Amino acid sequence: MSAATSAPPRPTDTKPKKSKGLNAGQGRLGLMLVAPTMLFLAVIIIYPLFKAIQLSFQKDAGLDPATGLFVEGGNAGISNYTHWLLQKCGEVDCPPGTLGAQFYDALWVTLFFTVVSVFIEVILGMWFAMIMNRDFKGRGLVRAAILVPWAIPTAVTAKLWLFIFAFDGIANRLLSTVGVNPQLWTSDPWAAKFAIIIADVWKTTPFMALLILAGLQLVPGDVYEAAQIDGATKWQTFTKITLPLVKVPLMVAVLFRTLDVLRIYDLPAILTNGGGGTTSLSMLVIKQIRSGFHSASALSTIVFLLIAFTAFLFIKFGGADVVQRPPKSKKKEPAAAPGNPVAANATTPGA
Amino acid sequence: MTRSVRGGLVTTLTWVLVLVFFFPVFWMIINGFKPEAIASSIHPKVFFSPVTTGYQLAMDRGMKGYLINSITASVTATIIAVVLAIPAAYALSIRRVKNVESALSFFISTRFMPMAAVVLPLYIILKNLGLLDNIYMLAVVYGAVNLPVTVWMMRSFFLEVPFEIVEAARVDGAGLYREIVRIVLPLVLPGVAAAALISFIFSWNEYFLATLLTSNAARTTPPFLGSFVDGRGQFLAVLSAAATIAALPVILAGWVAQKQLVRGLSMGAIK
Repeated sequence: MSAATSAPPRPTDTKPKKSKGLNAGQGRLGLMLVAPTMLFLAVIIIYPLFKAIQLSFQKDAGLDPATGLFVEGGNAGISNYTHWLLQKCGEVDCPPGTLGAQFYDALWVTLFFTVVSVFIEVILGMWFAMIMNRDFKGRGLVRAAILVPWAIPTAVTAKLWLFIFAFDGIANRLLSTVGVNPQLWTSDPWAAKFAIIIADVWKTTPFMALLILAGLQLVPGDVYEAAQIDGATKWQTFTKITLPLVKVPLMVAVLFRTLDVLRIYDLPAILTNGGGGTTSLSMLVIKQIRSGFHSASALSTIVFLLIAFTAFLFIKFGGADVVQRPPKSKKKEPAAAPGNPVAANATTPGA
Repeated sequence: MTRSVRGGLVTTLTWVLVLVFFFPVFWMIINGFKPEAIASSIHPKVFFSPVTTGYQLAMDRGMKGYLINSITASVTATIIAVVLAIPAAYALSIRRVKNVESALSFFISTRFMPMAAVVLPLYIILKNLGLLDNIYMLAVVYGAVNLPVTVWMMRSFFLEVPFEIVEAARVDGAGLYREIVRIVLPLVLPGVAAAALISFIFSWNEYFLATLLTSNAARTTPPFLGSFVDGRGQFLAVLSAAATIAALPVILAGWVAQKQLVRGLSMGAIK
């Protein structure tokens, strides 16, 4: 949260002057209109978040190992965090196999899913978008059909791929036709990871393609004509024209996908149930809930910080302009966006 | 190679890609209509006489109740999100609040929130209030989860309302309510519909919160599917049928409103 709020503070110094003249009292009315939404979110989302942070600094109620008496918890300091980050179970290192010892495995596998899935989705999505960015028969049908994998519930996706990756399922049958031995897709360390990545890529690539396509269609055709006349190669056209023009929508799409995969739960929970080392961070939180609220809170706070930090990096350095400001006026005239709503949207990507 | 031959090849390639991507769904739908013995057989048959046994068995497992819960939660959540989002989106676009960007950042940051970080306190709070396994409570939580996206999407549509129209209405003495309901809303109706649809789809598909905050009475379809006895073995047809039923509403919704959906989603609601 802090990451996103701290990102676009630029216009605060110029805006009050601007809005004062236009319509006095407008700010207060606007605030009243936004207030119910803010309040609702504060109660259902923000309060539990702070509660989780508070819980993460407390001890689980239970038997005190030193005295043998039942204790009500109390201040735990940062011990719930060192439990995960330094793998400390009390005074000793967490024994292998316990949830605490799985933290780094879960962290790495979540990061692995994120990097590999998003990378494949961007490359494939770009490619799909390029071939769809032209007129052909049944284009409308293709666009509708391609939404289906995205729209269906992830629980359905997971079960669907469970069939496909069953030992005597389609995937292994296809592999056997090219002479590859059948894989244990839900328990083998590599096969299970790729089963999840394949299912995730299947679910989101078409959608990524549609988003990139929406960006591509904003590029005027005469730009490409001009490039062709100037004798630009296909690769030059792609890197020098297409890529810069779709950069902003692409970065926003990548940001959202990245944050989604970082909290991935449904697919590994149903498809492999953590088999083959596919327990993601979110899955680890849920497993931990059953054996201690407070260290689960610490873990969930760690996940939150990881995601907030990633979002911050994207917005700060990656050019993911999530607040939909007109790209040109972003630096020079920050007051333009609040002043004129129509103009602010004229350059908005993705129309 | 001539231009038209090349174009034909690319079109064919596009269609092959689409079919590859669509095949698993197609296969699931077909399996739902197979008798169990054929569906689970190692040697798949191409031709078979379709039966609805799979669907009947899915219903026998109490799927109707889960579907009703899913509908209740999704519709209620969507109403909550839309009712709260319209004034907020209006304030953030046409009638600009001070610090629009901080308000927007606040919304978008709750969209980034990992549900794993809030679900635990939420569980404890609801447990203390006796509101666990309550479908309306689940709907309220969904409403909050979908609210940022709904505000976000609606705002992008509201921004396209020509300011002159709003100004003219104000000059004519239209009050706030009139301005929103009579002037602005009719212009942004496709956007409101798209945002409502997104909220519905997200709620319909939600698995994580439903698994944790419901157990029995308020259980929705996704956790029911998730806990469905393993796909390996003899339940392929019935599970395919159940999955088809669960996917049908959102497939239809996506099909009908795909243009609006893509437009709305490219504003930052990719999921």
